[in-house]
Amino acid sequence: MSTILKFWVNDDPIELLVRDDETLLDVLRNRMLLTGTKRGCGEGQCGHCTVILNGKSVNSCLTLALEAQGGHVLTIEGLSEGERLHPIQQAYVEAGAVQCGYCAPGMILSIYSLLQENPCPNEEEIKEGIKGVICRCTGYYKVIEAVKRVSGGG
Amino acid sequence: MAKMEAMSDYRVVGRPLPQIDARERALGAAQFVSDLKLPRMLFGRILRSPYPHARILRIDTSKAKALVGVKAVITAEDTPQIPFGPRSEDWTILARDKVRFVGDEVAAVAAVDEETAEEALELIQVEYEELPAVFDPVEAMRPEAPLIHDKPQNIVSEFHLTRGDVEEAFKESDFVHSASYFTSQVYQAYLEPMACVTDIDHSGKLTFYLATQIPSMTRVTYAKALNMPLEKIRVIVPYYGGAFGAKMETNLHLIAAVLSQKTGRPVRMVNPRQEDFMAGNPRVPMYIDLKIGVKKDGTLMAKEVNVIGAAGGRAVYSMVIVATACYRVDSLYRFKNLKTKGLTVYTNTVPTSCFRGFGNAQMTFALESSMDMIAEAIGMDPAELRIRNGLRTGDVSIHGWKIGSSGLAECIEKATEASHWKEKRAEKRYARGIGLACCNHVSGNRAFAREFDGGAGLVRVGREGKVLVYHGESDMGQGQKTVFAQIVAEELGIPLDWVEVAWVDTDVSPFGMGSFATRGTLFGGNGVKAAAAEARRQILELAADMLEANPVDLEIKEGTIFVKGAPEKNLPFKRVAEEGLYRRGGAPIVGTGFWVPDTVLPDPVTKYGNISPAYPFACHIAEVEVDTETGQVNLLNYVAAHDVGRAINPQTTEGQIHGGVAQGIGWALMENMVTEKGRILNPNFRDYVVPGPLDLPPIKSILVEPIDPNGPFGAKGIGEPALNPVPAAVANAIYHAIGVRITELPITPEKILKALKAKKR
Repeated sequence: MSTILKFWVNDDPIELLVRDDETLLDVLRNRMLLTGTKRGCGEGQCGHCTVILNGKSVNSCLTLALEAQGGHVLTIEGLSEGERLHPIQQAYVEAGAVQCGYCAPGMILSIYSLLQENPCPNEEEIKEGIKGVICRCTGYYKVIEAVKRVSGGG
Repeated sequence: MAKMEAMSDYRVVGRPLPQIDARERALGAAQFVSDLKLPRMLFGRILRSPYPHARILRIDTSKAKALVGVKAVITAEDTPQIPFGPRSEDWTILARDKVRFVGDEVAAVAAVDEETAEEALELIQVEYEELPAVFDPVEAMRPEAPLIHDKPQNIVSEFHLTRGDVEEAFKESDFVHSASYFTSQVYQAYLEPMACVTDIDHSGKLTFYLATQIPSMTRVTYAKALNMPLEKIRVIVPYYGGAFGAKMETNLHLIAAVLSQKTGRPVRMVNPRQEDFMAGNPRVPMYIDLKIGVKKDGTLMAKEVNVIGAAGGRAVYSMVIVATACYRVDSLYRFKNLKTKGLTVYTNTVPTSCFRGFGNAQMTFALESSMDMIAEAIGMDPAELRIRNGLRTGDVSIHGWKIGSSGLAECIEKATEASHWKEKRAEKRYARGIGLACCNHVSGNRAFAREFDGGAGLVRVGREGKVLVYHGESDMGQGQKTVFAQIVAEELGIPLDWVEVAWVDTDVSPFGMGSFATRGTLFGGNGVKAAAAEARRQILELAADMLEANPVDLEIKEGTIFVKGAPEKNLPFKRVAEEGLYRRGGAPIVGTGFWVPDTVLPDPVTKYGNISPAYPFACHIAEVEVDTETGQVNLLNYVAAHDVGRAINPQTTEGQIHGGVAQGIGWALMENMVTEKGRILNPNFRDYVVPGPLDLPPIKSILVEPIDPNGPFGAKGIGEPALNPVPAAVANAIYHAIGVRITELPITPEKILKALKAKKR
C-alpha cells in the first residue's frame, strides 16, 4: 500500500507517494537525497538518524514516513541558514567536537532539542540530553564543551 | 623555556584548530561513502552463513534471479576463485565448498533497491552439511579438533624470539612474578558501517569509492583477487565514519566489484549493523601467560611470555597482531633477557584483526598489570618502578629500536602530579583507588609495510595561490587532513585557509602506505612537508627572478615573499604563483617530495632492527570507586599524559586522547562480544553497549613534547597509544581500591564480586 505524504521538510512543501511501511529515514535519505541524516544502526539504538518532527526529536529510522503527514520535519540541512552555521553548529566546530562527523548531524539536532527545552543545562543535564546519540571518536568531551559554549552554561 | 621560544616561531603548526572540514561535516553536507549515489546505481546485499562450519552442498539462485528488480546473483563460481589475502592466501571473494564462521559470505545480490535485494536473499536456497566446529584457540590446537583450513593444529603462524639467557636471569632475580591474562574480543564500533560504492567503465576499469585506511595497498590486494592489472583499478577515499583499525581489506568491497562487473552498473554496499558485528574484523582475543623476574631494586631481569590468539575463520592481520603483542612492549622498559612464543590459531569465529593498539594494547594490559603487582611485592611505588626501567632518549632497546626521543619519565611525572598520585595512593578510605599504567608504541611499522618505508606528497600551487595537497594516507576522522594542511601552510609560509587537501585517489595521489601503526602524522606529514619544500623552492626561484634577488635571501611569511632584511622588497605569494603559471605555458607549480626513514626490515629470525622512525610513550592514571555490594566500578577521574613529539594541532591531538581513553574504558569495563557456538549474541548497540556520556569520567589530557628528530616539526603519532594503557590503569586502580586483581577483560561486576568473595575466604 502506498499513500500520498504531504509534509514540510526544512520549510519546503513536499508531496510524495510513499509506501505505508517506509520509514522517515528512508524517505529523507533515499527519496529526497537529504543524506545529512545518517543511518548508524536502523534500530533506534545509535541516534544518528535524529531529526526534529513537529518540534520533538525522533529517531527517523523508527518513525514511519506517514507519521509526518501534514507535519514539519527539520533535518540538519535545514538548521543552517545557507552556508551560515546555526550557533550550535558554530560552537560544535569551534570546540573541536567534529572528528569523523558521522554522528554530528544527529548529535547537533539532539543538542538543538535539548536547548529548546532547557536553554541553560548543567553538565549532568547535557549528558542526559545527548546520551541517545553514540559518538565513538570524541569521548563526548568536546561535544559537551560545545553545548556549554553555545548555552553559556555548564 | 628554550622550547617555548622555538614553538612561537611557528604560525600554523602547534595551534589548536578545528578540523579544516569540520564545517562540512557539521552542516551535514559531507558525503560519506554510504551517502554516495551514482546514476543507475544498484544496491548489493550478502547472503551469509548461518553455520560456524559447514560444507556447501548446493546453492540454488534461480528463484532469486527471477525476482523482479534483481540484476545479478553471484556465488563463488561467478568470481575468479583465486586464493588471496592481505597476509595469508586463505581468502576467496565468496565461500567455496566450505563456510568457516557465522557470517561467512556465501552469495550476493544486486538489485534496484535495498528492499528487493533483501527479499532476493531469502529466495536463495543453500544446502549445507554441518561440520564439527571449534571456537577457542586452545581447543583448536588439540588433535581431535576439526581442521578449518587444513593447517596442522589449525595454527596460522608461530612467533619465536629469545634474547639473552632467560633461565639464568630468573635464577638471578630476587622476585619472580607469574600471571595469566585473557583479553576479550571487542568490536571497533565505528559509526558508519563498512561501506563501498563500485563503478565500472566500458574498458572494464573499476573505480572503488572506499572507506579504507590503506587505499594503495588495498588496490594491490584487490588486483590479485580480481585477476586484474593494477591500472584497471582506481581507489577513491571520500569522507568515512571512523575505522579504528577495522577498515582495511574486506570481501564486501570485492563482492560489490564483481556485482558491478556482472551488471555493468555502479553498486553500493553497506553492511547492516548486525552484519558488521558478524563479519567485520574485531580485536584479536588473546590468552597471555607472563612471567617476569626482578631484582629488589626494581631492575627488570627477565621476561617470558606465551601468547595464543584466535584468528577466526580466516587470517586477516591477526598473525602480525600476535607478533606485535609478543615483542613491542619490550621497547618500553630496559629488558635484558627475553623468551617469547606466540601462536595464531584458526577458529570458527568471525575473523579478527586490527583495532587501535594492534596487539600492543592486549599485551600492555598484561605487562602493566604485572608491573603493578611487582611494585607491590618489592615495596616500590609503581610510578617509580616504571621511571627506573623506562627507556629514555638515546636508548637502543633490546630489539634494536632507536629511541630518538622519549618523554616517558616526563609523562609519568606530569600525570602523577596532575592526579595527586602520592596523596591518593596513601589514602585508604572508602573503596576508592588510583592506578597507573604506561605504554610505548610505534609511529610506523617497517615490519608491517614490507614493500618499502616512507611517505610522499604532492603540492600543487594554483593560479590564485591556492594550494592543493595530495597524499596517499587516509583520514578516517582523526584530523589527518588538517594536520597535513597545517604542515604545508607552515612550510610555505601561507595562511591555513589557502590550503586544501584532496581526496585520496590512486589515479593521482602518491602511493601511501596508509593510516595504521600511528604513522599518518609522521609519514604523511613528512611526505607533504617535503613536497611543500619543493614547491617553495620553485616559488622562491621565480620570486627571486621577479625581485632581482637571490633565492636564499628570500623568506615567505603570511603569504608575502620578501627579501630578508629589506621587507619593502616584496611580492604577494599569489602574484608569484600567477606569474609562474604564465611563464610556464599554464603549468602550475607542482612540488613532489618524499621522505624515507632509516628504519630496518627486521630479520625474520632474530626480529632485530629499528622498525619505526619514532616511538610515542604515555602514562595514564585512573581513579575509581567500587561498590563492594554490587561490584559496580565508578570512574572518578582520568589523567592521560602523552609524549606526542610535538602536537601539530593540540585540539585534534586532545580529541584523539579523549576518544582513545573512552574506547579503552569501554574495553576495560563494558564491551564484550558474547558468543554461543560461534554465533554473536549481542550484534547490536542495545546489547553491545559502548560508553555513553554518563559512563565517562572527566578526562584530563597532558601533552608532553620532547620534539622528535624524525617527526615533521618533531611530531610523533597519537592514535593508538591513546587507548593502550587504559584497561591496565583501570584494573590497577580497582586493585588499589578493593584489593582484588582482575586479569580477564572485561572487568564486570560479576567478576569483581566473585573475586571479593574469594578474597574473604
